[in-house]
Amino acid sequence: MSTPLIKVDDLSITYASEEGPLQALRHATLEARAGEAIGIVGESGCGKSTLASAMINLLARNARVTSGGVVFGGRDILSASEAEKRRLRGRHIAMIFQDPMTSFNPVLTIGEQLVDFQDQREGLSKSEKRQQAAAMLKRVGISDPVRCLDRFVHELSGGMRQRAAIAAALLMTPDVLVADEPTTALDVTMEAQIIHLLRELRRDYNGAIVIVTHHLGVVGELCDRVYVMYAGEVVEEGSTDDVYHNPRHPYTQALIACDPANLHDQTPVLPTIPGRLPDLVKPPAGCSFAARCARATQHCRTIAPAHVMVGPRHLARCHEALS
Amino acid sequence: MSALYDVDNVSLDLAGPAAGLQRLLPGTAPRLTILSSLSLSIAPGEMLGLVGESGSGKSTLARAMMGLVGITGGTLSFEGKPVKSRADFVKVRQGAALMFQDAVASLSPRRKVAAQIVEPFEINGVALPEGAQTAVAMLERVGLAPALAQRFPHELSGGQARRVSVARALALNPRLVIADEPTAGLDVSVQAEILNLMSGLRRDLGLSFLIITHNLAVVRHVTDRVAVLYLGRMAEWGPTREVFARPLHPYTRSLIAAEPQADPRKRRADLALKGEIPSVLARPSGCEFHTRCPFARPRCATEEPQPRMITPDRMVRCHFAEETRTETQGGNHGTDLEH
Repeated sequence: MSTPLIKVDDLSITYASEEGPLQALRHATLEARAGEAIGIVGESGCGKSTLASAMINLLARNARVTSGGVVFGGRDILSASEAEKRRLRGRHIAMIFQDPMTSFNPVLTIGEQLVDFQDQREGLSKSEKRQQAAAMLKRVGISDPVRCLDRFVHELSGGMRQRAAIAAALLMTPDVLVADEPTTALDVTMEAQIIHLLRELRRDYNGAIVIVTHHLGVVGELCDRVYVMYAGEVVEEGSTDDVYHNPRHPYTQALIACDPANLHDQTPVLPTIPGRLPDLVKPPAGCSFAARCARATQHCRTIAPAHVMVGPRHLARCHEALS
Repeated sequence: MSALYDVDNVSLDLAGPAAGLQRLLPGTAPRLTILSSLSLSIAPGEMLGLVGESGSGKSTLARAMMGLVGITGGTLSFEGKPVKSRADFVKVRQGAALMFQDAVASLSPRRKVAAQIVEPFEINGVALPEGAQTAVAMLERVGLAPALAQRFPHELSGGQARRVSVARALALNPRLVIADEPTAGLDVSVQAEILNLMSGLRRDLGLSFLIITHNLAVVRHVTDRVAVLYLGRMAEWGPTREVFARPLHPYTRSLIAAEPQADPRKRRADLALKGEIPSVLARPSGCEFHTRCPFARPRCATEEPQPRMITPDRMVRCHFAEETRTETQGGNHGTDLEH
């Protein structure tokens, strides 16, 4: 088995807030190998965006790393110098954002921006860079790439914009591609097309793809492995098939149960997850899900569970995972 | 059973962009069809789903039903009475409420929740039913803590803002609530809470709901009937269970096939629907879906399909609904509807 291309190792991040440091990410560990697509799922506030921004080294100014790091190319990229961080971003690790409308500059054409993104590529003239950009637009399914180069972002439809954003991210053939909610802003038919495109690109792209989403459907369609996050922690990880068919953490089970997409018959009442996320300024001493978990015992409320191996490459952070 | 809200043969067109001489001669500019010959009725206590891609006219229909945009053909009637004049729509807005798509944006950022949810009473000159306690009582009805009354919209979570808009919609005890994308952007657990809240209100108060969404899982789960809109025309409607089990229109079938599957064993091999919804500026001739339809034949490009009732409660607008269904599903399943 190949070694991981990128590894998040025991990473903890806090944000300065009025009430004190908010522990947005606590001892998160994950890895992505070449040719692999991993998914990071969880609901709002679970830390998945913090994790994604750490992987691309775009942490907010009030963020502080309190443990661990992100290892890429044999070293911790979070402690790299600003110049090195710039060199890594785009060329080695690229990102597709949720809303391509705001990730493109509205007053420059798509072509001008796609040429700019190749700034670090040496030995290519401007017109060659433009040709590269057109070729990449064609690759992501834009039928008239030359015309698209002269368009502004507002002139493109939602699906075209997301295709252009994917083209922008792939221009420098990065080793790691991080996509933050790549289909959330799209219709179901456009979503299917973008999923189809990402799956197609996977075949001839030998990097690692990291998909951050709250939509289990996107994970099911695209990812080999999945990391489920809750309250800043990775609570379960495993192959997409194992986690969907044999979820061992109560939060994963609840997350799958309350999505009507997974129910075949109508029920008068959908399952929900009662209660709220814990306050991350003062996270609970025991299991962070204990207050919302039907199976929680006194043990769960006082002692934080460790990762329990429930199968090959399948872990769950729950005292009861094996029972 | 008489309909609560009846939409009969409704059309809406707008003046298109004028070119050349058309600019000088008013009335000669081409008309753009936004909604065309739409018929739909909502029964008391019914939950009806309205689905289709962005640009299919779902929200426009909702706005037309509330009198926020004028229709140019057909008739609307609410509780058996025709709705035409401004005064008629004022009555409609007392008996039917619209929940807008973006719950946070539909609240004023500068006013507290308490002041905003009692606005329907002020606008309609109705005394507050429980005086100063009205706002708190309304919040309790949708499961929110009284303390939220003193918050500003930016201090609410997505789910709380959605509940506030449900509370506001319920203010005047409407018979119908039109909910435009009621769960868009919510986490699945919060989405389930909002859907449970709406189902509960329907059960306890006998409310009707028109749920506009492009989330098919939501429609499949909570609605009794579903109507499918494409480019301002009705493609198909019928009982939700039957439409999902045996879609008649190729567009419905494509939409269902496009839904991402959480189960990796059910991954789709290929693409259900290619291309994008055409612009109303370039509406295809004949059947407007023929440009993307996997079953399109020459007749589809020239002749507009008429609405056909396949069973007493299922309508489809497709020349070849019966044939395309057997083509994709095999003959065995095709017979149980034609009785």
